[in-house]
Amino acid sequence: MSTQEQSPTARDAALAKMLAEAVDTCARCGFCKVSCPTYPFGGGFETFSPRAKVAFLKDYFEGRDVLTPEWVDRLYRCTTCERCQTVCQTAIPLVALWESVRADIVTKGLGPMPAHKKLRALAEKHGNPYGESASRQSQWLSPEHHPMEAADILIFGGCTASYRMPSMLQTGVTILTRLGVPYAYAGGEEHCCASPLLRTGQLDVAGELIGKNLDLFARTGARTLVTPCGGCSKTLKHDYPVWAEKLGKPFDVTVRHFSEVYVDLLRQGRIKPSVAVNKTVTFHDPCHVGRSQGLFDEPREILAAIPGIKLLEMPRCRESSRCCGAGGGVKANYPQMAAAIARERLDEAVATGADTLVTMCPFCQGSFSQAIKESEASIGLSGLEELLLASLRQ
Amino acid sequence: MTYQEAAEHAFGQAVSFDPQILRSYDHDLGEMPRPLMALIQHRPHTVVVARSAADVATALSLAKRYDVPVTPRGQASAGYGGAIPSRGGMVLDLSNCNRILAVDADKNTVDVEPGVVWEDLSRALAPHGLDNRVCPTSAPSSTVGGWFAMGGVGIGSLRYGSIRDSVLEIDVAGLDGTIRTFAGADMEPFHQTCGGLGVITRLRLACRPAEAILPLAVRLPDAAAAARFLETLATTPAAYSASLVNAGYCALRAQAEGHRPAITSGFLVSIALLAPQADTAAIARLASDCGGEVLDDAVAAQEWEGRYYPMRIKKIGPSALVGEFFIPFEGFAATSADLTAALPDDAFGLEAFAVRGGKLAVLVYILDDAKALLYPLRMAKAMIPLRLAARHGGAPYATGMWFSALAKGIYGPDKYERIARLKTARDSRDLLNPGSIGGPWLPFLPIISLSRCILWGTACLAPLAARLSYTRRRATKHPGATA
Ligand SMILES: Cc1cc2nc3c(=O)[nH]c(=O)nc-3n(C[C@H](O)[C@H](O)[C@H](O)COP(=O)(O)OP(=O)(O)OC[C@H]3O[C@@H](n4cnc5c(N)ncnc54)[C@H](O)[C@@H]3O)c2cc1C
Ligand code: SF4
Ligand code: SF4
Repeated sequence: MSTQEQSPTARDAALAKMLAEAVDTCARCGFCKVSCPTYPFGGGFETFSPRAKVAFLKDYFEGRDVLTPEWVDRLYRCTTCERCQTVCQTAIPLVALWESVRADIVTKGLGPMPAHKKLRALAEKHGNPYGESASRQSQWLSPEHHPMEAADILIFGGCTASYRMPSMLQTGVTILTRLGVPYAYAGGEEHCCASPLLRTGQLDVAGELIGKNLDLFARTGARTLVTPCGGCSKTLKHDYPVWAEKLGKPFDVTVRHFSEVYVDLLRQGRIKPSVAVNKTVTFHDPCHVGRSQGLFDEPREILAAIPGIKLLEMPRCRESSRCCGAGGGVKANYPQMAAAIARERLDEAVATGADTLVTMCPFCQGSFSQAIKESEASIGLSGLEELLLASLRQ
Repeated sequence: MTYQEAAEHAFGQAVSFDPQILRSYDHDLGEMPRPLMALIQHRPHTVVVARSAADVATALSLAKRYDVPVTPRGQASAGYGGAIPSRGGMVLDLSNCNRILAVDADKNTVDVEPGVVWEDLSRALAPHGLDNRVCPTSAPSSTVGGWFAMGGVGIGSLRYGSIRDSVLEIDVAGLDGTIRTFAGADMEPFHQTCGGLGVITRLRLACRPAEAILPLAVRLPDAAAAARFLETLATTPAAYSASLVNAGYCALRAQAEGHRPAITSGFLVSIALLAPQADTAAIARLASDCGGEVLDDAVAAQEWEGRYYPMRIKKIGPSALVGEFFIPFEGFAATSADLTAALPDDAFGLEAFAVRGGKLAVLVYILDDAKALLYPLRMAKAMIPLRLAARHGGAPYATGMWFSALAKGIYGPDKYERIARLKTARDSRDLLNPGSIGGPWLPFLPIISLSRCILWGTACLAPLAARLSYTRRRATKHPGATA
């Protein structure tokens, strides 16, 4: 179990070599340790920190250590929030490392975690990890919405938004509708973007789902994919081009998170927020929107354009924003840890004195909505698009 | 009750004997060859995660009762072996003793637990209109207690001196389980002695008013000009911090980060001025008098923003041998010239901090590969900078376990005697970070210090090691990295 050929080489030799070399450069500075949201949940022991995981992986790649069930568990206690990677002294692509090792773990039959296996089974059977039927995928569409058969823009709802937290998706599409921006929607045919499967190392089934979506995108002829979800937009932007090449399928589209679309519309003068929304808000940068896609200014530009909004920043914002705890399969398998991380972030939001916590990812919204309920915190929760819509004249 | 039962009774979930957990506590920043590590019991048998001063006191009395060596550990971001156990035993992880206890905005002081991280402290002081006077460039992770126990200089040292000069009072836990307060000269023995006389559980720090910082970058043609420039700069009222790097360092960092080097010859001095008092025209005149020039604001901003990333060049190493020393301004040019002559075939970078009182703390990075066969031999190169500096008035930077044989030279004879007396009185069985004061001993010959052997060995091997240059195996950026 500890030999070179059992490291991630078989899957992607070049990537594995690069990562094995990258761990050599670790300066052991500990910047990643102090910024990791999951490290404190290992009882305060160094071993649960990204730095210790890198040290372990260095030994593992060099055949001096073995993957025990305890190490597998530790390697899955990571939300792939990218904070460690942002602060890394030697710029090690740590998230690629975590994901690559998880894939290796799965290949060897040592993982993933039980909840992740369930996600897989559901995704294989239903095309989404919630086990929902395809017929319910477009349930969020309201009578006001008029998707076209084909259009330049294809709305990619994403599973969490479509089945669990539809408000952002719904509102975003309402805004497009009211502005008369044409869009298509393939409700019922959309498959999970595969983010939860990629992040938990289940590449085979991820590849199948991605393949189906690539076929769908090609069929619709869309030029732009627009999604409200941080996880979907990250995956579509960063993983799909690689997989398209791997699968030999075309992927000639631009991917945009909804916030990018709003900013364009604002700059073009097509949206003119004019109704005052008198709220004092604080904005949570979702990891996979902010750090993964660099969308830090866009939400702030939108908030600044809405009359009546006062923004109070949390001390940890933008690149150093704290994770909501949901990503990387953590919420599925370690719900208590995920909830505690969300509560910590919620406390930061409450401490600003803002009356509303604003996000732009259904995943984060789900985490915070649960945290607010459980802790009875006196703060409201809103998607960015909801505020934007409220500021537009009917 | 056995030791293990007592430890579990006292600490519950906060103690571990699990070998998988313990393996994370057997190293620090330095990359030492395995044969050398094998000479000490570098892996502890127990780790205790302390969360309060009371936990520290309990751990120490337990250690005394069961005769267990204890190694305190902040973030293990120092590379002198101080946080590595030399006789196994217990590692006391202090990184979770990290509360800010009290801020006194009238007296400009703050009381902190030892595990508070410098950057967090800076953030917490901001609402009080205060900031750290000094901090190491490892501020995003390293702890207040660790830096005081290690001793050092860094950002702000041009104006405020070493960490010692900014600590007003400390609480120290001893093996008898009591915690006593020390201030002024009584504190001195606990500074730089790596927890060998007790574990620091609280520090009172002097803070500075949180004034805005104006970064400037100046290129100087050579080391003599750089030293001359710094000498005058040190007398400027607005001068807060100054560090310099040579063109070699700039080239390596540019290669690591994938851009063009800020300078291609000479030295780049990065200055941090207290903005309200800054007179940039005067600095420009001074630079020009020394044959230099003020560089673009963008370079200055980039240097200041990148101040916590001195080891980025490791990316093209992948390892780096580090030689460190203090040198008076007047000895810098000669040392720098000697270094270039002594390491003609090596990619080395030089970085230095100006320190109040007219000296520089110099770090020399020599790229290498810890996995290479000849690495243990080439490691002797890390001692070359200090040896050359000694010819020009230089002195060692810090002790830790690996350089404990240099302690007398670092502390001075008076402090050394005082430490030795206190060690006998407080810790006659050498349980408190054994090896950090005077040791560790060779396992097969426990009258000879390993640290002394390292000094002898590296002295003998240095001429040979200097000839063994290392060819880098790659020079690419890691794709996919966002930082
Ligand atoms: C990127 C980078 C930049 C750096 N820049 C600088 C710099 O500018 N200046 C500088 O001087 N150093 C620098 N260092 C070295 C190192 O970060 C500092 O020495 C730092 O202060 C060590 O803090 P730590 O918490 O990691 O202590 P550790 O490494 O954990 O411990 C250092 C020593 O102190 C002892 N110790 C720790 N806590 C206590 C306590 N509470 N009571 C008693 N003993 C204790 C340990 O046993 C050990 O001997 C840098 C390191 C890195 C990685
Ligand atoms: S990605 Fe986030 S959760 Fe995972 S190790 Fe890095 S900082 Fe920790
Ligand atoms: S931040 Fe990067 S270099 Fe520093 S310890 Fe973590 S992985 Fe290593």
